[in-house]
Amino acid sequence: MADDASSSSSYAGNLGDNSINQDELIMKQQREIEKEISESIPLVGDLEPLSSLEQEYTEDPVYLLKVKDLFSKYKYIRRTRPDGNCFFRAFSYAYLEYLLTDKTEYEKFYEIAKTSKDTLVALGFSQFTVEDFYETFMEVLQRVGEESGGTLEALEAARAELHDKFNKQGHSDYIVVYLRLITSGQLQTQQEFYQNFIEGSRTVTEFCRQEVEPMYKESDHIHIIALSNALNVGVRVKYMDRGEGSQVIAHDFPEGKTPLVHLLYRPGHYDILYT
Amino acid sequence: MAALPRRIIKETQRLMQEPVPGISAVPSETNARYFHVIVTGPEDSPFEGGLFKLELFLPEDYPMSAPKVRFITKIYHPNIDRLGRICLDILKDKWSPALQIRTVLLSIQALLSAPNPDDPLANDVAELWKVNESEAIRNAKEWTRRYAMDN
Repeated sequence: MADDASSSSSYAGNLGDNSINQDELIMKQQREIEKEISESIPLVGDLEPLSSLEQEYTEDPVYLLKVKDLFSKYKYIRRTRPDGNCFFRAFSYAYLEYLLTDKTEYEKFYEIAKTSKDTLVALGFSQFTVEDFYETFMEVLQRVGEESGGTLEALEAARAELHDKFNKQGHSDYIVVYLRLITSGQLQTQQEFYQNFIEGSRTVTEFCRQEVEPMYKESDHIHIIALSNALNVGVRVKYMDRGEGSQVIAHDFPEGKTPLVHLLYRPGHYDILYT
Repeated sequence: MAALPRRIIKETQRLMQEPVPGISAVPSETNARYFHVIVTGPEDSPFEGGLFKLELFLPEDYPMSAPKVRFITKIYHPNIDRLGRICLDILKDKWSPALQIRTVLLSIQALLSAPNPDDPLANDVAELWKVNESEAIRNAKEWTRRYAMDN
């Protein structure tokens, strides 16, 4: 297949086509730069002491104060690749890692996960494509279940295995896709409620097609509310930005539920926090 | 070349076993990610009677990103430019890994049945389509006869 560059050159004399090509070329170039930066960062990184955050902000008093505040509650951070999928990746990694230590929670979650595909198919998603993502997700989940509550040594190995899977693009992205679909399913099942969160004139379904189901689209409050409700998993997000004060504000999703996953939000990006 | 992902094998098999009516999509013998596509011009459209050749390519990270599709046969259509590129949301920012080649082909067929001059890619065609639809349709029929019928 002719790529964009070679096909555009053959019509370079035509102004109309040329203007389209210029825009496309600029966009393409921008995407390539973003991709390059992003791919230099692992999908999910190693556990780092929280002090590594401090080093990022040595000349930024506003953020330094906020990092100090984070220190009062958290000890470690695990970074994720800033590719627009970071919320879904961070959430699933942190929660599956937690499930390794809580067999009861695992059993409860397993039942929710098991029936999740039927909800999606009932909503009109194609069984043919959805089942691949579902199967990968269940496979990873079941491995967690097998090792859940094991000895310290076994857990160490299970964590390493999970880490490895999350850094294999195939596995890792399939899990992200599946969580995106669950999020979309939840939004569409509870349309009346979620419509209130959507700005402008888009319907919930349109929003899902544009902002939830495609890969690399960043997550907002509405994604987090929908996913945490769909899976009944408590998430605490610490919002670190240039806002006033020295405290990092926390939001719990769904409200009132004990958080099992802790995420750090900085504008446009989510990482995992550990107490 | 890396092994073909299961997803592509699965889709190819299904396209062979249960083809989309009016569309044939056959993988190239030398590259299983490259499909030769022929779309029959839909009934009651200016493209009726034509056979349109397209090429469809599954990029390295498919299904995370969309197939790349282009008309090879010349076509007079407000959403398809002279390079054969198609203005279709699911080929761009609305692509989702839950969609498939089949969805793309059906959407292209639907686009032939219902041209949308308000979201143009070929500006001159779209303009005529809006100000003088009957002339635009005459042109589309003429192009169909000229480029899509003698193969």
